[in-house]
Amino acid sequence: MTPLLEVKELVKTYPGFRLGPVSFSVNAGSITGFIGRNGAGKTTTLKSILNIVHPDSGSVSIFGMPVRENEKAVKQRLGYAGGAVDWYPRKKISDIVGVTKLFYENWDDAEYKKYLDVFGLDPGKTPRELSEGMKVKLNLTIALSHKAELLILDEPTSGLDPVSREELLDIFTALRDRGVAVLFSTHITSDLDKCADHVTYIKKGMIVASDTKEAFIDSFAKDGIRPDLEEIMIACEKEDFREKLAR
Amino acid sequence: MKNLLVKEIRLSSHILTYLFLAFTAMTFIPGYPILISAFFICFGIFQTFQNGRETNDVLYTVLLPAEKRDAVKARFAFVCVIQLAAFVLFAVFTALRMTLLGDAAPYAENPMMNSNPVFLAFILIVFAEFNALFVGPFYKTAYKFGRPFIAFITVSMITVGVAEALHHIPGLGFLNTAEKLPVQFAALFVSAALYAALTASSCVKAQRRFDLLDL
Repeated sequence: MTPLLEVKELVKTYPGFRLGPVSFSVNAGSITGFIGRNGAGKTTTLKSILNIVHPDSGSVSIFGMPVRENEKAVKQRLGYAGGAVDWYPRKKISDIVGVTKLFYENWDDAEYKKYLDVFGLDPGKTPRELSEGMKVKLNLTIALSHKAELLILDEPTSGLDPVSREELLDIFTALRDRGVAVLFSTHITSDLDKCADHVTYIKKGMIVASDTKEAFIDSFAKDGIRPDLEEIMIACEKEDFREKLAR
Repeated sequence: MKNLLVKEIRLSSHILTYLFLAFTAMTFIPGYPILISAFFICFGIFQTFQNGRETNDVLYTVLLPAEKRDAVKARFAFVCVIQLAAFVLFAVFTALRMTLLGDAAPYAENPMMNSNPVFLAFILIVFAEFNALFVGPFYKTAYKFGRPFIAFITVSMITVGVAEALHHIPGLGFLNTAEKLPVQFAALFVSAALYAALTASSCVKAQRRFDLLDL
């Protein structure tokens, strides 16, 4: 199967931080959790995929097209939502959507109305009047109304209460069942336990592993005991501050 | 490109950008450095840049299926639309001052700049300065606008000073009257060409910068 998203040898260097080389892929109709600690390079990777940040080297293909040369065509078919980003917080949702839909060839007003209804969004409200969970749902509504085939979500569950998080994960699962691919970054490993098919784990700018969730967990099994994702992450990342402080 | 311009008007722009067009009426104030009104028009446009930063306009725009270069071009187009709307108002008010109000006492004894084609030429020069010193350099970061705006304030104020001083130089008194109109219209034509050239080159440079920018 040709991957929907393919990242190859992506490298981006900042003063004091180097990302990569990063390689992984996302298939259609799958949920990929992109995990790592805060500052591990998740957002830089996602921004590089979207050409918001320019990598020093490497390549990104989406829908079989190199993103750099086909940015406009690629963005017609994908949706992006950052964690707590507000677009035009004081404009009405109906005004924002009224402009946004002009850019999408596949915009479907009937779908838009359906998702407004499903998510309980009032188009007369402004983004600043929405809770964090509703903001993510608004971004999803926009993405799904132009029939996005790939959703790239940067920490969509951060700051959400447990019920909203659970609801969002249910939505991801339903979308996957309809053939939509979801790539979402998170440091909340329990999100992945519930819905991810694949896990890509990044640590200090480097990919530690990228595999199906089962194979990923199996690779960390010891003496027949399979740890959960949280145990894996803690085992890989935890620094011994007691020892450091004792020096 | 058309959709991006619609986005500029409906989502990105700030109401003050439009309201500040009323400053064109400063053309009628006697005994006042009326060229300052061109600065106020640009200050109104500046509010849209400030609004854009507060509302994550740049990031929203680059996530749309549109060329980044077109996003810059659309912003320049929006700026030019506002400036040209202001210019039309300035031109109408100038025509009124030169015809119906031509003999009005406050203007006959006006020690400061009168409105005439040379005044309109200076308006375009201030607008060109805004586009070259503020709008273009803003796209070095698409975030920081303090330094470019200070550069514009400095140069535009010097321009106002020069414009006010010129007609006091012996032989150049006609610059503040309705005399030698062919010369005045030639100055207007030259400044219009300067406006077009500086705006276009600033736009091209900004497009290149913005394309390479990490947001």
